[in-house]
Amino acid sequence: VRFVDEFRDAELGRAVAGQILSLVEPGRHYKLMEVCGGHTHSIYKYGIDDLLPANVELVHGPGCPVCVIPMGRVDDGIAVAHQDGVIFTCFGDMMRVPGSDGSLLEAKAAGADIRMVYSPLDALRIAKQNPDREVVFFAIGFETTAPSTALTLKRARAEGVPNFSVMCSHVTIVPPLRALLESPDLRLDGFIGPGHVSTVVGARPFEFIPVDYGRPVVISGFEPLDILQGIEMILRQLAAGRCEVENQYKRVVPYEGNLRALEVMAEVFELRPYFEWRGLGFISHSGLKLTEAYAELDAEVRFSVPGIRVADPKACQCGEVLKGVIKPWECKVFGTACTPERPIGTCMVSSEGACAAYYNFGRFAREREVV
Amino acid sequence: MTVLRVDEGRELALCAADDGRHETVEIALVAPVRPAQRLLVHAGTAIAHQAGQP
Repeated sequence: VRFVDEFRDAELGRAVAGQILSLVEPGRHYKLMEVCGGHTHSIYKYGIDDLLPANVELVHGPGCPVCVIPMGRVDDGIAVAHQDGVIFTCFGDMMRVPGSDGSLLEAKAAGADIRMVYSPLDALRIAKQNPDREVVFFAIGFETTAPSTALTLKRARAEGVPNFSVMCSHVTIVPPLRALLESPDLRLDGFIGPGHVSTVVGARPFEFIPVDYGRPVVISGFEPLDILQGIEMILRQLAAGRCEVENQYKRVVPYEGNLRALEVMAEVFELRPYFEWRGLGFISHSGLKLTEAYAELDAEVRFSVPGIRVADPKACQCGEVLKGVIKPWECKVFGTACTPERPIGTCMVSSEGACAAYYNFGRFAREREVV
Repeated sequence: MTVLRVDEGRELALCAADDGRHETVEIALVAPVRPAQRLLVHAGTAIAHQAGQP
């Protein structure tokens, strides 16, 4: 297939679903984790789980960039945004993530100069347009967005933009996967690997999953047929007793990744000893910070950052959703106290969050089932 | 996104999204780039070539 409508073709989808049905053993329950929030969104949007046999369960992973940011980090951002002369910039989704005392959007309403940007380059442009102000970019995301931040920092230094800095909250995907695989309360049979992260890191970083944990990984694209084929490839491996990393998304993902992006990231970032993830706690070597060579562009060096640690609200079960322990609708506040309009947890904020995706699409199918 | 015009000197490209929206994209990580090629773009930066649609 080549064109987008073919990747969404219902007949082809049903044909792959038939192949999936032929591969599952009756009486065996299969738990497959889709790592990436983009997959979660597509699964609910296109009703992919409705096409699967009842004994194939999809578990949502920790791959939504906004969802994994802890409340304390939001509070740190708000504290920087309130400092004199600061223009604080961030992606749109990040504006609505609740901190312990409100979101960046609420801080903006209270008078802080907080602006939504589509890319770190937009933040750099704002810095050049406002030489008498300090412009901070709140950088979040996995290896898909980290290269963009790295290139922007290189540009800022090359062009000599002294009033630009980055508050780096980038994270990497492999350490939380290892943490999940070590978790005693989660038994997984295979992984739908993250398509866009893999364009940068390649497939090699996921080889530890079959080697150390005996689980197959299939890196998959984001169209319905991609995801169905990814599931079919995992089940085919399991049926054949194979266990390896396969690449369904070859039209975009080279096995070795984007070496130029990896080089730029290695120049600009280094691993933090540890970083706090919402729901997953502190994970070693899972967060990025700026290297010594870029310290003058590091907002955490330039500004007083309180380093706040805040426990999630007791009612919020984002942590269990992010670990795949519960489904979104099993959370105590899902769809009642916590909705996309007034989110309590991060998973209800971003379109890639499991709760928001389920709230926007999946719940209707479930409501039909209940009726 | 589909490449419309390339500024090699500044490593930028004007690209069109599938919904018709135009955006200037950083292409340093995927250069060389030619008009009509399709790129995967995240946060304003192209991170991969797309062999076909989507």
